[in-house]
Parts: sequence; C-alpha cells; structure tokens
Amino acid sequence: MASTGQPQSSLKRPNPAVNREGDKLIITPLGAGNEVGRSCVFMSFKGKKIMFDCGIHPGFSGMSALPYFDEIDPASIDVLLVTHFHLDHAASLPYFLEKTTFKGRVFMTHATKAIYKLILSDYVKVSKVSVDDMLFDENDISNSMNKIEVIDFHQTLEVNGIRFWCYTAGHVLGAAMFMVDIAGVRVLYTGDYSREEDRHLRAAEIPQFSPDICIIESTYGVQLHMPRQIREKLFTDVIHSTVMQGGRVLIPAFALGRAQELLLILDEYWSNHPELSNFPIYYASPLARKCMAVYQTYINSMNERIRNQFASSNPFNFKHISSLNSIEDFIDNKPCVVMASPGSLQSGLSRQLFDKWCSDKKNACVIPGYVVEGTLAKTIINEPKEVTLTNGLSAPLNMQVHYISFSAHADYAQTSTFLKELMPPNIILVHGEANEMGRLKTKLTSLFADGNTKIITPKNCQSVEMHFNSEKMAKTIGKLAEKTPEVGEIVSGLLVKKGFTYQIMAPDDLHVFSQLSTANITQRITIPYSGAFAVIQHRLKQIYESVESSTDEESGVPTLRVHERVTVKQESENHLSVHWTADPISDMVSDSVMALVLNASREMPRVLLESETSINEQEDAKKAEKIVHALLLSLFGDVKYGDDGKLVINVDGNVAHLDKLTGDVECENESLKERVRTAYRRIRSAVKPIPLSPS
Amino acid sequence: MGTSVQVTPLCGVYNENPLSYLVSIDGFNFLIDCGWNDHFDTSLLQPLSRVASSVDAVLLSHPDTFHLGALPYAMKELGLSAPVYATEPVYRLGLLTMYDQYLSRKQVSEFDLFTLDDIDSAFQNVTRLTYSQNHYMSGKGEGIVIAPLVAGHLLGGTTWRITKDGEDVIYAVDFNHRKERHLNGTVLESFVRPAVLITDAFNALNNQPSRRQRDQEFLDAIEKTVNVGGNVLLPVDTAGRVLELILTLEQHWTQRQLSTPIYFLSYVSTSTIDYAKSFLEWMSDSIAKSFEHTRDNAFLLRKIKLLINKSALEEAPGPKVVMASMASLEAGFSHDLFVEWAADPKNLVMFTERGQFGTLARILQSDPPPKAVKVTMSRRIPLVGEELAAYEEEQNRIKREEALKATLVKEEELKASVGAEVVTSDPMVIDTNVSHPSSSAAGLHSGAFKDVLIDGFVPPSSSVAPMFPFYDNTSEWDDFGEVINPDDYVVKDDNMEQLSMHVDGDLNGKLDEGSANLILDTTPSKVVSSELTVQVKCSLLYMDFEGRSDGRSIKSILAHVAPLKLVLVHGSAEATEHLKQHCLKHVCPHVYAPQLEETIDVTSDLCAYKVQLSEKLMSQVLFKKLGDYEIAWLDAEVGKTENDMFSLLPLSEPAPPHKTVLVGDIKMSDFKQFLASKGVQVEFGGGALRCGEYVTIRKVGDAGQKVGGAAIQQIVLEGPLSEEYYKIREHLYSHFYSL
Repeated sequence: MASTGQPQSSLKRPNPAVNREGDKLIITPLGAGNEVGRSCVFMSFKGKKIMFDCGIHPGFSGMSALPYFDEIDPASIDVLLVTHFHLDHAASLPYFLEKTTFKGRVFMTHATKAIYKLILSDYVKVSKVSVDDMLFDENDISNSMNKIEVIDFHQTLEVNGIRFWCYTAGHVLGAAMFMVDIAGVRVLYTGDYSREEDRHLRAAEIPQFSPDICIIESTYGVQLHMPRQIREKLFTDVIHSTVMQGGRVLIPAFALGRAQELLLILDEYWSNHPELSNFPIYYASPLARKCMAVYQTYINSMNERIRNQFASSNPFNFKHISSLNSIEDFIDNKPCVVMASPGSLQSGLSRQLFDKWCSDKKNACVIPGYVVEGTLAKTIINEPKEVTLTNGLSAPLNMQVHYISFSAHADYAQTSTFLKELMPPNIILVHGEANEMGRLKTKLTSLFADGNTKIITPKNCQSVEMHFNSEKMAKTIGKLAEKTPEVGEIVSGLLVKKGFTYQIMAPDDLHVFSQLSTANITQRITIPYSGAFAVIQHRLKQIYESVESSTDEESGVPTLRVHERVTVKQESENHLSVHWTADPISDMVSDSVMALVLNASREMPRVLLESETSINEQEDAKKAEKIVHALLLSLFGDVKYGDDGKLVINVDGNVAHLDKLTGDVECENESLKERVRTAYRRIRSAVKPIPLSPS
Repeated sequence: MGTSVQVTPLCGVYNENPLSYLVSIDGFNFLIDCGWNDHFDTSLLQPLSRVASSVDAVLLSHPDTFHLGALPYAMKELGLSAPVYATEPVYRLGLLTMYDQYLSRKQVSEFDLFTLDDIDSAFQNVTRLTYSQNHYMSGKGEGIVIAPLVAGHLLGGTTWRITKDGEDVIYAVDFNHRKERHLNGTVLESFVRPAVLITDAFNALNNQPSRRQRDQEFLDAIEKTVNVGGNVLLPVDTAGRVLELILTLEQHWTQRQLSTPIYFLSYVSTSTIDYAKSFLEWMSDSIAKSFEHTRDNAFLLRKIKLLINKSALEEAPGPKVVMASMASLEAGFSHDLFVEWAADPKNLVMFTERGQFGTLARILQSDPPPKAVKVTMSRRIPLVGEELAAYEEEQNRIKREEALKATLVKEEELKASVGAEVVTSDPMVIDTNVSHPSSSAAGLHSGAFKDVLIDGFVPPSSSVAPMFPFYDNTSEWDDFGEVINPDDYVVKDDNMEQLSMHVDGDLNGKLDEGSANLILDTTPSKVVSSELTVQVKCSLLYMDFEGRSDGRSIKSILAHVAPLKLVLVHGSAEATEHLKQHCLKHVCPHVYAPQLEETIDVTSDLCAYKVQLSEKLMSQVLFKKLGDYEIAWLDAEVGKTENDMFSLLPLSEPAPPHKTVLVGDIKMSDFKQFLASKGVQVEFGGGALRCGEYVTIRKVGDAGQKVGGAAIQQIVLEGPLSEEYYKIREHLYSHFYSL
C-alpha cells in the first residue's frame, strides 16, 4: 500500500514475451478432427477458454466414445456452446458437466435443450453396455438440465468478456452456428449446417460479419447433393406406386431431425392426393412422439413457410399420420407406410417390420439418410439376394430398396459458396472423414488460390496456433477529454479496463463512468507531547523546506503545515495532533514528523550552537558524485575520470564519454550509448532528493 | 463530442394518453411507440402527422393499443413509411390486438379509420428481432445499433437500447421488475450509467400490495361471486395482461378442481392462445423449464374455454367467469356483457387494470362508483324489407352506372382500334362489375340498348347488328415456317415447392372462423344504436394486475441505473412532477419532463476521443483487478499512427508524480466484519466505527445522498499514536487500491 504505482510498474515490468502469449489463439479439436462423431473443439485466446460441442462417438462405447477431455483442464473453461441435440454433438455433456471439474457456463438454444433431455434419456435406455461402462445415468441428465442456460438466435450474450451469439444452421430444429468475439477477434463455429431451406427449417444464415477464423464441418467433402425437389419427387413416387400396388413401405429413420421433415412431406402429399387417404401412415417411435410437442411449440425457430402455415393450423398436427407405440398395436392388414427407428435396421421396430416384409416383392424400403458401415441398412443398399433375419434364418430379399438421402449437411457447392461469401482468412475443417476432408482441402485451396486463406485440417488433439495482434483502442472520456490533445502532449489518468474495452479518465470522473468510486482517507493521530510547540517548529524547519505556521481558525491553537501535506496542531498542553490525507508520500512525511515529535519529547531540547544550518551544497554535490561513480562502476565495471571532467566508461573495447552535468553521452556504439544514458538518468533520479509536491 | 440526442414527445406527456415519442440521434429519427387510445381520437395524432414523413425507423415496445394502435392509421393516412422494429410477440400479438379492435368496432359502428388490409400492410414492414439482438442500422443510421431487451409487463415487451459510439440511449416504459407467472422481470437494472434514460412516471404514485396477497383476494372475490350464483366479468385486453390472468385462473381452477365454466372471449381468442403456446422462449424461466422437463405447455388450457362469439356463452346456464376483450368497456364483448349483467347485484365486474381516461371502465372505477351509466348499445343488423330493397336498388344503380361507364370506355377503345390491322385488345372482356345478374325486377333500365341485349358482350360499333366477335388467327411466318414462342413448349417443372405453398393462410395473421365470417360477410347490414341507461347494481372491484413496477421500485431502479440524463414521459401531471422532484434529489441532476411537442436536447456534454494504446505502452501497464474492472494509472505521450489516429506511447522520461488515487468502495458494516475476522474488537458507536480501544473510523458526508451515483468518499481515521492505529490503517488500506 505504501508504494506508489509508478516505481512498482517499472520494477515489475512484465516480460514482453508473456504479453505475446496473450495474443496467441489456440484451437484444438478434442474430437471430430479428421473423423465424424464426438464433436468437441477447444479454443483459447487471451486467457479465455471456450469449448464448442460435447459429443460422443457413436462407433465406440464407454469412455472411449468421449472426446479427449484429458488434453484440457475442464475447470478453466469459461463457456461451453452446444450447437444441436444430435448425440455426436451433445451426448457427452452430462458426463462433462457432472463428472469433471467443469464449472463454466453452458449454452444451447431452447429447442435443443428441450430435445436434449429426451434424446439422452432415450440413449441411456437403449445403450446396451454394462453399468460400469455407463458414462452417466438419468440423474446426471436431469442435473445437467439445471446447469444449461438457453440462448435465442441472434441474442448477444457476454460472459467474462467473451461475447457470443448464434445464427440458424438449418441442420435440425434448434441447430445453431456460434460466433464468438473475444477482444475483436471473431471465430465462427458452424457445427452441422445446411444452406438449403427445406420444408420446416430455415437455411443456415450467412453471418453479417466475416469471422477471422471459421471452423467448418466437412462431412460431405466434395460431394454434391441432388436438388431437393428431385429427391422429394423420387421419394413420394416410390411410396405412391408401392402403396397403390398393394405393398407396404418401410422407412427406417432416426427418430429426430430428418424424420419430421419426411413426415411433413408425406402428410402434405397425402393431402394433395385424396386417392391415398385410405392408406395409413404411421410413425413408430415413442421418442419422436414425445418430441412432437417440441416441434409444435418452437415454430418460431422454423422458416417463414411453416410460420405462415401455423397461421391457419399447426403443420405438426398431422392429418394423415398417426403414431404407433409398438408392433403389437399394429394391424398389418392393408398397404401402409411406416416410419420406424432405428435407421440402421440393426434392432428394434424397424428391424421387426423389415423381417416381416422383406420377402414380398410388392413391398419397399426407403432409406432416407446417411448409413453407417457394417449395419444392415448399409448391406441392403447393395441389394443382396438374401438377408439374415433376427432369428438367424435367412430369407430372400425381394422387397425393393431405395436410397434417397435427405441428410441436411452442406455439400461442396454450399460449403464453397458459404466460404466465398464470408472469406475468412483462416479455415479449420472438422467433422469429416479424413479422405473426404483431404479432398475438400485440396479443392478449397485451389478455390482460394489467389488470396492468403489458410486451410487447416487438424487431427484430434493437434493444436492450431495463430497470432492476432489486435490493436487496443481506448476511449478518453470526461474531463480528461475536454480538449483534443496535440502530438507530444502528456496524457495521464486512470486506465479502466472492463471486458476488452478500455477507457481513460480523470480520477474525479471514475464514479461517473464506472461503478467504482474513489476515496479520501483523512488521518488524525494524537501524540503525547508536553514540550514547547516552538521546538517542534524549529526541528521541522531543520528537515523540511516548507513549514508554515499559523493558528487554527476554530480553536485558536497554533498549527504547523509541512509542505502543504501534513498539519501539526497543538491540541492541548500535553497533546499534539497530526493530520493528513493518506497517500504514500504524506504517510512517509507524517511518520517522520511523528518520529521527530517522539524524539523531541524524549530528550528535552538542548540549544544547539550550530553555526550553520543551511545545507552545504558543495559537499552534497561531492557526495552525489561519489555515489554516481560507485553505481556506474557496479554497472559497467571500468569507469574512470577523464581529462575534461567527463567519465570514461569502457565496456569490451567500446568507450563512452559521459558528461555528468548534462547527462550527454558520446559513444560510437549506439546501444552502449543508450544504456549509459538510461543508467545515468536513473541514477540521477535516485540520487536527487524526492520532490515533495507534485509538479 | 458526444452523440447528439433530441427527444420530442408526440403524445403522452403530463397525462395518461397513449405513448408516442420522437427520438433523434445524430439526425436519425426514431419514432418510439405509435400508440392510440380506445376512442381512436384522431386529434391525438396531430403532432405525429407533422413529423411522420421524416421518421427513419419505428420501434415498438408493447403489443397493445396504447403502444402501437396508431400504426395502421399512420402508415395509411399520415405518410409514415419507415421500417418498423419489434420483437416477434409484439408483432404477432400486436396484430391480433389490432384485429380485435377492428372487429369489435366494425360490429358496432361504421368504422373507417383503417381496415384489416391496412393493419396487414402496416405490419408487413415489421422487422422482427429477438431479445439482446444487436441490430446494426444501415444507410443514414450507420453506426447506430438497436437492441430490444426484456421489459416484463407484456409478452415480448421491450426496453429499447439505442447505442451510438458507445453511448446508450435507453427507452424503458411500462417495465416490470417482478418476475411473474409467464414473464421474466426486466433487465433494466443491469444497465449502468447510460447516457440517456427515457422512462415513464405512470406508476410513480402507486404502490402495490404483495403479489401473493393480491392473488388471494382476487381469487376469493371471484369464487365468492360464483358461489352465490353470480357471473364474473373480467374486462381484459386482447393479448397482453390477459395471458397472466389466464395462467392464474387456470392454475386455480385446476388446483381447486372447480367446475364453474370459465371463458376467454375475444374475436381472436383461439389465435391468441395458439401464438402464446409457440412463444415459450419469450416467457419466464419457470415456464421454459417446465416445458423442457415435462413438455407441458403452460398455455395448453384445460379449464378455460376459448370463445370467439357470444352465442356459445348463452348455452351454459348458471354462474360463469368470463374474460372478455376490450378492457375499456368501450366496445367489444366486455361492453355487451357489462350491459347485460350490470343490473344484477349478484354479478361482479372485476377490473384488472386502470381504465383509460374517459372510458366507461374509468367512470366505473371512480370512487364512489356511479349508480347508473349511460351507454350506447349498437348492433349491426342485416337489412330487411324496405331498407333491403332500397339498399339493393342503390347497389344496382351503382352497378349500372359502372357498367355504363365501362361500355362507354370500351366503345372508345374499340373506336380507336378499328382500322388497325392487328387488334391487340381482347374484346371478350367480361366485365366483372356487371357480371352479377341483376336481381331487381323493378330495375328501370335506362342504359343504352346494347346493354339491355347482352350483359357483358360488347358488339363492335362498326357492326350493323350485334354479333359475336370473330378474329382471324393471324400467325407469322418466316423461312422456317411458323414463328413459335419457345415458352409455350417449356415443360413446367414439377415444382413441389409451388404446390405446397398453396396452403399458406390468406391473411398475414390467423383469423378465427367467426371473425373470418364477419369479414367475408357481405350481406347488407346497418348499425343500429340506442342510448340506454344501465343501472349499475353489480359489484365493481379493481385490482392491480397491470404488471408494472410500482412507485417505490421505480425509484430504486432509477437510483441504481443512475443515468447521466433522465427524461420522464407518460404519467399524470402530478406523478410526473413527483418523480421529477424525487429524481432531481436522488438520481441525477439532469431530469427533464418535456411538454407535448417540446424538443429537448439531451446530447451528453461528454467529451471523448479515441486513442490507440501502443503495444509498448501496454507492456508497461500493470492492471489491478477490482470486481469486473481492471484499473491502472497511465502516463503516456500522445503520438500519431499512420492512419492519423492518436496513439499513446510510453513517456521518454520519468513520469511526473501525481496525486495518489485510492480506488475502492467501503461499506462500514462489511469492514466491521472484516476487522472482526482479523481479531480486532469493533463496534459501532455514535456514527463511527470504534476499533480496538481508541481508534475510530468515520465516513464523512451523508451516505444516503448520492447525487449522480457514488461520489468521492471521505473517510476519517482517528486515534492516538499506537501500534493498533497502524494495524487498523493497514487493514483499511487493504480495501483500497492506490494508484
């Protein structure tokens, strides 16, 4: 406390290298680096740490499905942003929130949060792993719900100086792309996105501002999608003809996301084709049924089309589609369309129906999305002659199999136009199988050949480091800014930093522009002293240049004012009081005054016959010179007095001449000259007495 | 220099008229709110009409008539054409409110200020924003950022923040800091020292009882009436506060298993609730949470029935509770029900908000309530008998005139085109105006003879006798044969998109069947009015369910926000004056309460300029952390960068010493605890903190009087020279940062 800010700042000057460290932006994929699944990207900049997504790898189970959380300290993360509810983006969240030291804040959109709980509870129920391998249970999920905060599209939030907001991503209901802004450096994380507007979702928006870094998915690499109209036509045509010919249609699909889109297509098609109204459509997924309420509610995160339809009736109140709880409730007596999960046909209702229907050639199976290698769905796309049923028997595969992809990921055309539009200087590819990603990288590199766009494809745990030398701007406000300064003028005031904004202001204005306030501490100490007041006055004059004596206006007691800082008052016969306003110099002066008073009262005054009280300046100067010489000697080693009164400093053959009076240095070597001059300036300021009043 | 800010009230100052204010920021004119009252008094819009064309953007804050009622009229008649900004619920519910207003009016009068189409076209210009969304204005408003923030009071209710160059202008009227069943409290308190705050004094003199007590009294009163067999009428707004009432009553009905029928009656009630169901993300955290956990939508009403016409009400005999729209009782279902029910002393009319000035509701809320009131009962009835005949004749006459005019025009055209080789106009025009078969047998056809012969076919004047027109199918030829138009042969894409788009609702918003009937209903009708005196024998009750912060909270919020300049609008003269005096004393020295059309300049006298902090300088600065802030003393030399910006460079010589600044805020009670934890004996005595045996610490200056926020604190530390003194000083210093 007793030190001024100034010497402290010169003593503890931070190492410039440390400061550079603050400008380093690090991005590390903890998952989804050169792979699809367990999306998790860690980012740190200026001491702020952010994590995007927190998924699991559907191909693994237990701990091995998690992203590489060991690489980071969960406790240090400020904000965790989850883009959408799919398992590969959100499913390790309960684990991360409940089983690690993470104590930051988590954000997702309203719809994502509502579905997150359902989808994870379902995941816990259906995953067939041993209890030890379970990453979390139902309880962890409900606990995590309380920690998750919601963010609406475009809503700008600020946490610890990190500003972030999200755009619609068009992938599934509630899917978001997050833009993070730390000290003016913007990073866009797309998550899964689609630039194509479909029946219920808006297309991904193109952000208003170009980010400095774009972390983008690359699932489909350089592939191109068929136009949506053609896909939809194929889809409805297949179903129409199958049903009309008396066959049943099985659509194995994951319960959420694309399923709702397909139901909308079917419901509308049925409405437009009255001849079909006799054939029922079922969706057989309890999870989808539960989530329907969410779809019926968050109409406002969907596109204009749905919202206009909502004006007449809720489009998710299907007219031709009913839900099916289990296969027992299902009366298989006429042609129908059934959408059932899981999409992989590995088990569950979709498999039961498949087993039942696969040998009749009138029936059809439409696979609407991405299928994983090694599943039955993948197998039947290649149309084998026979398939193995769940009971181990094999049966001929006579039903027609159609693969029509409705996957809502961006294809190459969308990705390239999106990036062309944004022109981010740095592109980081994640969420893509290594080969696809490589091809995309090559193609993008040639696309951006003219610019200096960097395209990076880090592997898991491989950090990408970038430097951003953001210019720090400050705003000078209030009294300090009353006139615009000229070049070379000195500005001094308080520099106040909040988040990443800087303001410079006069101390008096601090309470006006911030919630901080300043204080004055007045101190008053009483000291027993019974001697004559004149003695104190005399002694003080011996030490201090400026001692004014007067009498107190109120009480009429004599007072002394030392350097306009400290007031000494004779309160009574036996007491003196010392008043001052706290600051380091006044504290020091008051201490010396008090020491003097105590000394004076201990040893009663002796009249000293000192002939001269004035300070011998010559002697002083001589002493100072000696000190200067000694200090220089300790700094440079070889210091001699020259002929013309100058000091000659010899360092490794470089000779410098120092004029002690002016501080001028003559030297061939510039760096030595600079060093000597600086050293001398500092020594001079140390040797010279401290000025008592601020100039 | 600071951003120039001017405020001109256009309506609603020193009284409780609707709100409408012009805020001009560096020459960019924002019209904030565009309200009207339930009388639709055009004289209130006089000031607006003078400036409407110069408005650059309109910001709406709440979805009720008072905040947006004049928008359709202003867009249609006053030349307002600026883009409008509002939140999604304000847009949707505002639209419904306007529909309801229109339909209620149309039912009882020849309402011609605006039509449904005008409402639709006015709302087409609305750009919808979400809370805390920073919207960057472009063009003339370059550099201005607007953001809607939670205001409470009504669903989607907005506190607007307009930012330019880091200076905030906040518009916060009708906010509610209390969290309610369906809404979160306002975030107004999170602002710190905005440059300008515009707020209302509407509730400055009101204080509210606790919510729990009020709710209990409210429900008790209703139940009591129902138990003695009376009906309860709650005059409510269309889509605002009624949502809170619905939740309160629905919850009560469910908890108590009540079977008394309860209704929500307005022309748009079903749409209101449908939209409310889809606005969960705008509602309170508890509603969102319950949906996330159980997918139980709070607005999925089980007890309350939604009605869009009165006839269904009559089917249920016995006591009932009805929330009917138009809180002012000036029109709408509430008006009709009041007239029907007022004479029965068993019935109860429960007002949940203060009636607008000069309305029936306000008259009934006066103390003591009037014994009888005069009301105008108006009804739209279909024309019958002579009137119908007269109407039809009139219509026919109009039709005929039009037809005649049309034929004359056609003739002209034809005359002009005769002689031309290729006739381009298609003469097979069936004039839609005359295609209605004329039904009146008594019609006296005085038109040209051609018209008598065939309605719709226009014989060329050159022909001797009427004949069907005949034209050669002239086709052009060139060397390769007939010239074809390739467009005729293009196979139309089987565009699913287009097919699906047909489902779109015809009107922008959603209309209920009944209301739709009303619009499409073209049967001739007229409005019959009769003055009648209604004996008010039913009980009248008023309870404050307005959902606005009360006087005391407003004052404490204002003191907390501590704006640099404060503008007071909307509120009775006394309330405005009262709040002004209070704020001058306790909030800030610059409080303005402008008169109607008085432009006040609230440009901040703040000086500011921007500088770049050089890397070299920043490496020398040592920040000290203090809460959210980091703070340091800075001595620097001004320099210039390449692009002519000021930059700060480190000093080349040692900095001149400066007066030490102690930064920090100390609360005596906190400090007492701190000292106690350090083992010092402390107690309060005579306004000072006595520490140990002799040392005292005092705060000088009245701490309660905080004009312009916390000023510089004066702390006095006194004591005899002792070790204790230095120890306590050390502790005291540890609470401050010296710079």
